[in-house]
Amino acid sequence: MLGAMYAMLYILRMGQEPPGIRALRRTEQAPTAELPNIDPITFEVLRNAVDSILDEMSLTIVRTAYSTIVRDAMDFATSIFNAEGELLAQGLSLPFHLGGMPDALASVRRRFGHDLLPGDVFILNDPYEGGSHLPDIFMFRPVFVADQLGGFTATTAHHTDVGGRVPGSNAADSTEIYQEGLRIPPMRLMRAGEPVEDVVRLISANVRAPEKVMGDLRAQLTACAIGERRLRELIDRHGPSTVQVYFREMLDYTERLARNEIRQLPDGVFTFTDYLDDDGISPEPIPIRVTVTISGDELTVDLNGTSRQVSGAINATASHTRSAVFIVIRSIMASHIPNNAGLFRPIRVLIPAGTITNLTLPAACAARAITSYRVIDTLLGALAQAVPDRVCAAGEGGNTFWTVAGTDREGQKYILVEPMVGCWGGRPDRDGVDGIAPLGANIRNAPVERIEAEYPVRVEEYALVRDSGGPGRFRGGMSVTRSIRLLGPDATLQVRSERRKTLPYGLFGGQPGQPSDNTIIRNRKRLRMPSKFVMTVRTGDVYRHRLPSAGGYGNPMDRDPSRVLEDVLAEKVSARGARADYGVVLAGRREGMRVDEAETTRLRARVMRDGSR
Amino acid sequence: MSANPGIRVAVDIGGTFTDIVILEGDGVVRTLKVPSTTGDYSRGIADGIRSLAQAAALPLGAIADIVHGTTAATNAVLEGTGARTGLVTTKGFRDVLELGRMRRPILYDLFWEKPRPLVHRSLRLEVLERMGADGQEVSPVDIPSVRQTARHLAASGVDSVAVCLINAYRNPAHEQSVRVILSEELPGIPISLSSEVLPEVDEYERTSTTTINAYLRPVIESYVRSLLNRLDQMGIRCPVLIMQSSGGLMSAWGASERPAYVVESGPAAGAIGSSFVAQELGLANAITFDMGGTTAKASIIEEGRLRIAHECEVGAGISIGTRLQSGGGYVLRVPAIDLAEVGAGGGSIVSVDQGGVLKVGPQSAGAVPGPICYGLGGRHLTVTDSNLVLGYLNPDRLAGGAVALDPVAARHAVQEQVADRLGLGVYEAAYGVHLVANANMIRAINAVSTERGRDPRQFTLIAFGGSGPVHAAEMARALGIRRVLIPLIAGLFSSFGLLLADVERRAVRTCNVPLVAEAWQRVEGIFSQLEIEAAEALDAEGFRASAFQRSADLRYVGQAHALLIQIPAASRSVVEVRELFDREHLQTYGRRDEVDVEIVNLRVTASATVPKPSLPALRVDGNYASRGRSTTRMAYFGSGLTPTSVLTTREQLGTEWLEGPLIIEEYDSTIVVPPGTTAHLDSAGNVLIDTIASALT
Repeated sequence: MLGAMYAMLYILRMGQEPPGIRALRRTEQAPTAELPNIDPITFEVLRNAVDSILDEMSLTIVRTAYSTIVRDAMDFATSIFNAEGELLAQGLSLPFHLGGMPDALASVRRRFGHDLLPGDVFILNDPYEGGSHLPDIFMFRPVFVADQLGGFTATTAHHTDVGGRVPGSNAADSTEIYQEGLRIPPMRLMRAGEPVEDVVRLISANVRAPEKVMGDLRAQLTACAIGERRLRELIDRHGPSTVQVYFREMLDYTERLARNEIRQLPDGVFTFTDYLDDDGISPEPIPIRVTVTISGDELTVDLNGTSRQVSGAINATASHTRSAVFIVIRSIMASHIPNNAGLFRPIRVLIPAGTITNLTLPAACAARAITSYRVIDTLLGALAQAVPDRVCAAGEGGNTFWTVAGTDREGQKYILVEPMVGCWGGRPDRDGVDGIAPLGANIRNAPVERIEAEYPVRVEEYALVRDSGGPGRFRGGMSVTRSIRLLGPDATLQVRSERRKTLPYGLFGGQPGQPSDNTIIRNRKRLRMPSKFVMTVRTGDVYRHRLPSAGGYGNPMDRDPSRVLEDVLAEKVSARGARADYGVVLAGRREGMRVDEAETTRLRARVMRDGSR
Repeated sequence: MSANPGIRVAVDIGGTFTDIVILEGDGVVRTLKVPSTTGDYSRGIADGIRSLAQAAALPLGAIADIVHGTTAATNAVLEGTGARTGLVTTKGFRDVLELGRMRRPILYDLFWEKPRPLVHRSLRLEVLERMGADGQEVSPVDIPSVRQTARHLAASGVDSVAVCLINAYRNPAHEQSVRVILSEELPGIPISLSSEVLPEVDEYERTSTTTINAYLRPVIESYVRSLLNRLDQMGIRCPVLIMQSSGGLMSAWGASERPAYVVESGPAAGAIGSSFVAQELGLANAITFDMGGTTAKASIIEEGRLRIAHECEVGAGISIGTRLQSGGGYVLRVPAIDLAEVGAGGGSIVSVDQGGVLKVGPQSAGAVPGPICYGLGGRHLTVTDSNLVLGYLNPDRLAGGAVALDPVAARHAVQEQVADRLGLGVYEAAYGVHLVANANMIRAINAVSTERGRDPRQFTLIAFGGSGPVHAAEMARALGIRRVLIPLIAGLFSSFGLLLADVERRAVRTCNVPLVAEAWQRVEGIFSQLEIEAAEALDAEGFRASAFQRSADLRYVGQAHALLIQIPAASRSVVEVRELFDREHLQTYGRRDEVDVEIVNLRVTASATVPKPSLPALRVDGNYASRGRSTTRMAYFGSGLTPTSVLTTREQLGTEWLEGPLIIEEYDSTIVVPPGTTAHLDSAGNVLIDTIASALT
């Protein structure tokens, strides 16, 4: 149906100024086969087709995967690459995977670039060869049309276990990659359509939950195969040379949009430093420092000044750090911009090797997301100086990870893992969000009733904490707390939490959020626990975690008193908190409650004058 | 059905128009489109029925039943105009409703706002009690704390209460005791128990669904009451039935008790109508395509059966991504016809983005101001404007001439807003809009076919809605679909579909048992129990169950997602069920696993059959009458303006296959038959389009 559109005689003029509207110009000559014309209609039709393929790949993974990490954390990604290995489009996925796939494919191409066959499938998970951390297994399938390479379909998924010293392969206290599990350098999982049995057996023998891992690998294989079939059909329908030209244009189009966005940012150099509490092994705070340079339509993010890599397993690969950077840059761009290689072109990311943001052998990295979450916070802090109207104050700082492992009364071993997520910081024109996954991940919480049905525990509370949101003209999101009681025999509890010492920052006068907290309640006695620990919990013990809350945006004394009243009526702020944190005095009770304007004005004036409350 | 069912009336309420269809016992069909009377919809309904009946000299007292599709429930959620609702939860869990699942539907937007909970936090109250996950009581209901809660709610002036306690899906006893106390303290206030609305695992989804139910109950109850009163005043005292999201009917009073089940009432009827037409013609496989002003929707019929989805979000907005990334709306876990929806319709706004690419939707100009060519002050170019420029629509004849269109303004807008900016001619630009709209809508069709392992080429496309027949043939060709069917009354087909549905009730139970022979007896027991429950629910509304259908959510042990499998009544063996599941998994995902299978939920549908018309006996009266002879006008199909025959009724098409280009103008829709395709009229009054037309070339 598009034949008529192809026949139209247009040529694309590239790189023009300003980039607002692309100019298309009629030419006198008919196009040659080597140079099909770009017409905007075919472009949009093809783009829809590619997105549709990615939807289909993503749905296949979601629906056929065996692990709850894929279902609940959506910790996977699907992508399509062009024949040159450039990221063409990325499906809906965990944001942290944005930008991670190209490095992995580059690694495959380095080893096998001249030896690709139809029906081949490649995998890897080695952070030192294109991987991210060991649980993430990347998979690539070349797409051939009539013996010619037309592109790659790709998936990555976080697997339940890849061996190593701790179940889940996610421990924060490993000190070397060799403790963390099975390292898979780029290798074939399928050769010309046939499984490479040696590799399958090797993986199966090295993981704790082979039925889950193999089930999820099958889900990835199916998604890659479906993607390959659809991409082949698409190339067949439109012709290989046409498709390649449009694929290139998809990147150029994104680059134009991205440069246009960057050009609207003020030129300048902006620096910010934030800290991780510690690496769980030694108590020193760990600085993360970024310097952002905006110059015309290019943007550089420099991580110089960031801590050297550390003993604990929170060191990130350069690709994971880049993902964190792209997440933030994408989020401050106003319009919808496709996720492809064109987005990366005007952005330079400088990450010194041997730092916590660009690990070198033999650093451990299983829990590296904790570092990348802080890179996001740090970069937002730097950009707050450039574009205060496009950023938010710090959120909870990434998820807490807690694990209960033990044996139930029937003698069955179990591991209950939950990434707990919380809140966003105050924003330039609105409050933060109470109860939401962090920017870097779109993790869902685990249903209380499923946890109770499947594990020997009872959840006793899951709630927002009053007076916790960082006060500000726009309030930060509130802490979320969860309490869980062990019903079964004694078990091991492992907790990795953050933001105990360095609080989530507020912006422009907004107050910081509150720290995280871990408590064990045993025989009605409360034991205060550190932010990272492993212990044996006894039958009947309650573990209570409180996530950090988020920072506020703007001076709390400027908050509209009626919004403070609203929070009090919703029991999110107490009357005492309204007075102490916001200088708002309330009168009356329950629905009859109102703001005492005169007292509020007086109190706020005193606070502003004295600088105290 | 041989028995003469008397006069039946269908009423479909949309935000802008109320569509009324009257079917007489002898097969005469009459239709009318009137503006919806927002505020009190019953006025528009009553006036519409009266004027249509008067014109045909039909006695109002002879109406046998009225079948109703309504957006009243959806609108109340979208506009936040539901009841002041209280929610009673287990201690420690008042925030379940607000926390939700923590997800957001879009990834890179720092300004995203979470949907505001339907119950204010101060009206979410906790009571002391606890049920275990095994259904055993952990601690009893603390009566004083419940009474205190009830009094607090009474003092707060709530109009409706939802009760959702942890693990109530395993044992409803605590919720039932809470209801007793609430009823004492809050006389006359409707109480929705989660163990009755949705006895399924997952506290958030159950709380959300129960809350929506409670939030809507007073609204729908007063809606139903005012409708019945008005009908009563007119002397109409027949049964009034409302379409559920699942495509089955329910009595109006039943709907006011369980409004959560009618939230997606509107779009279901078109799919039901299509499945009836498919069945009558002996088509096992069809894809339905409904294109209106704002959105396009697709669903799939396989082996004569529509696919049912068991969870959706209300108010999440329209975007492809919402199927993958939840969190944008209010979760509603009730059965609904699985419709994929994209934001492309006749009113969708056309734009050229900063990167120089043509976009269609998802913003819509709506019906007011609507497309530029309506002349009601619309400034944004829409798909309908482009279709007018292309010569597909008759400027003098839309809605039987009731709406005059302004082709000059439309042409000007295409020139200015697209052609000039992209360096295209005006027809090329308008055709580009048409193609991009098609590309968007094809994603809805892919969502119900290729994304589930179905090849659309093996399906017939049944197209309806005001704009569906304009786009269907070209889309079918792009998808490789050979056959397109445009049913009778295509533009009002959703209301007609209301007359083709049966009354039904569904029941579900979470069970989590392995699919093994030893457990099958227990499964049979639960199925029988569910059949009794569903039949009793029908009975309570005055209907007798005439058929039962069993289905189950199955998955490989360890898998996170289950597939819904129909269990034939005859199947008594576990091996047979396992084979059905393996086959479905293979078809949908391209593989079957050597892993044990488990049952997650068991489901039963009980239905009471309603007499249906026979398609060939239908005669469409009134507005559809011939409005003159066929003419010719110029239309654009991708290469130069082409003289195109324009027929003014589908009867003029005749039973011979005619070669396109052809345009058939009807009262409520326009059928476009592009060059290279052929069309004819079948014996049941459907227009069939063949997109390959090899016989002619």
